[in-house]
Amino acid sequence: MTLPVLELVDLGKVYRGRKGGVQAVKDVSISVGAGEVYGFLGPNGAGKSTTIRMLLGLISPSAGEIHLFGEPLRNNPAVLRRVGSLVDGGAFYPFLSGRKNLEVLARTHGAGADRIDALLEQVGLSDSAKRRVKGYSTGMRQRLGVAAALLGDPDLVILDEPVNGLDAAGIQEMRLLIRSLAADHGKTVFLSSHLLHEVQQVCDRIAIISRGEVIREATIRDLLAADEGLRLQAAPLELARSVIEERWAVEPDGDTILVRATQDEAPEVVRRLVGAGIDIFGLTPERRNLEEVFLSITQEEAADA
Amino acid sequence: MLEAFAAETLKFRRHRATWFLVWIYPIGFLLLSVLLICVGLIQARPETAAPAASKWIESTAAIWYVPPHMFGRYLIAAFAAFVFAGEYGWNTWKLVVPHRSRSALIAAKFAMTFLFLYGAFLLTGLLTLLMGWIGDVVLGSPIPEGITAAALAKAQYLGAVAALAPVLVTIAYTSLAAVLTRSTIAALVIGLVAVTAEQAFLGLAPILSIYAPRLVWGLYQLLPGYHFDNLSSWLGQGSASQTRLPELEPIAWSWPASLALVGAWVVGVAGLTFVSFKRQDIN
Ligand SMILES: Nc1ncnc2c1ncn2[C@@H]1O[C@H](COP(=O)(O)OP(=O)(O)OP(=O)(O)O)[C@@H](O)[C@H]1O
Ligand SMILES: [Mg+2]
Repeated sequence: MTLPVLELVDLGKVYRGRKGGVQAVKDVSISVGAGEVYGFLGPNGAGKSTTIRMLLGLISPSAGEIHLFGEPLRNNPAVLRRVGSLVDGGAFYPFLSGRKNLEVLARTHGAGADRIDALLEQVGLSDSAKRRVKGYSTGMRQRLGVAAALLGDPDLVILDEPVNGLDAAGIQEMRLLIRSLAADHGKTVFLSSHLLHEVQQVCDRIAIISRGEVIREATIRDLLAADEGLRLQAAPLELARSVIEERWAVEPDGDTILVRATQDEAPEVVRRLVGAGIDIFGLTPERRNLEEVFLSITQEEAADA
Repeated sequence: MLEAFAAETLKFRRHRATWFLVWIYPIGFLLLSVLLICVGLIQARPETAAPAASKWIESTAAIWYVPPHMFGRYLIAAFAAFVFAGEYGWNTWKLVVPHRSRSALIAAKFAMTFLFLYGAFLLTGLLTLLMGWIGDVVLGSPIPEGITAAALAKAQYLGAVAALAPVLVTIAYTSLAAVLTRSTIAALVIGLVAVTAEQAFLGLAPILSIYAPRLVWGLYQLLPGYHFDNLSSWLGQGSASQTRLPELEPIAWSWPASLALVGAWVVGVAGLTFVSFKRQDIN
């Protein structure tokens, strides 16, 4: 693998308050390769935004290291100039127009002024560019936020909840945009979300974070494959279960059982059941979507606590 | 740094706070002087002799009385509160912080606040000169002899230099309050209280020194207020501003010593602003 674009090593953050500290992020270690679309998934309060704020140098980590493009962020905050970001749905100067906001940002950045018109066009804000941001809808702010994130032609784009507040069409557009950033422009994208089914379609790899800790990291494919199964309806059910259990794990579920076998193994399952004289009423492959996987993982976590 | 300054300028040049707290000086003055000329035209005037050239010249630099005055400093504090605390209220630090060093962003704010204010005062000074001349011509008042460009420039220069210390100290106070409280209103209130306390102390010192003579005597010299007066006295009269607190040795500092002390205040307080902002978590 080439040098990771983003690498977090045992990253941690404790928010100090009057009543002791809140451990918002703990021992997060992940690495994101060039051209990858990486999803950072977790329920509310999991620590996604905290991690992203540390990546952007907005808050300082309590523990651990952040490496961007192979350089430690601590010693070299200037690497952030190669990073574009959208946090909190795009906060802008309310008294300036969308265009002026991008101009302010281009000046701050020292680059990108010549890209403003093209970006406004790209995010569909050309017609409202001269209006004050104060009057923008949530979706418009989010689009302006995307334009702002891309202004400096960054190599790494960090998006905190990019589809928050967008309508169905907006979500679809955002998804296409993110894919095209990676596929057509070779950018690396790191995004956070709690809307898993959306992320399922854009990310190559994800980390699931819960209560500050990464509890699973995998490619989408592996994550789903690990949770494949066959749903069996048969009689007598108890007998079927004992036959199956000789070879596969099973989960009884009402008047069916879930067999932890892949679809390739279905004929073998059938042969064994038929051999034992069991009547089969149905055997359907079941592929849980990421949402279910995610829910079960985070619920396990919660149950363990 | 220059880029951050350019960005800051773009943000604030047409902000409402800038109109009401900075651009108001030249605009307000222009309107007022036009009004006065109109009134002068309507009213019958007695024939008057030309005023002394020195008086006429001095009047063109009258705007420079505003920034060292308590009320002028209130307006400066208010503007600085908007500039330094605004980003917290709009939630926009997270937009710019990743792209520039934090020091450059704060330095740009100091530079912009100072240059906008001084630009407005200087413009008002030039307008005073222009409108004074136009007024005299339109109203047919005699213009005194012996007014030279050098004398006019010197008047502006002296006013501008004398205002430096109070303007910088006021901006520094408010910037620190803004970064620490993260609130425009709080920064404004603290800025106003600091300016008021500092100026009130000068006036009340003779009374207060009855109760704690040594303490008041020490504070009097430690706080920047006396040194503003002292520096402007050195500039204007070429001598120290003398203060006597009852039963204590008189206070009269040399100008380099006063300058160093005021400099220490500005560098110290502004330095704290930089350090606090550098270490701050932005949520
Ligand atoms: N400034 C702060 N001070 C104290 N605690 C904080 C602060 N910001 C966040 N937290 C706490 O840290 C934890 C993680 O918050 P964070 O905002 O990172 O979560 P998140 O994953 O982004 O959640 P969401 O999906 O709701 O945006 C939460 O328990 C939150 O209450
Ligand atoms: Mg969040």
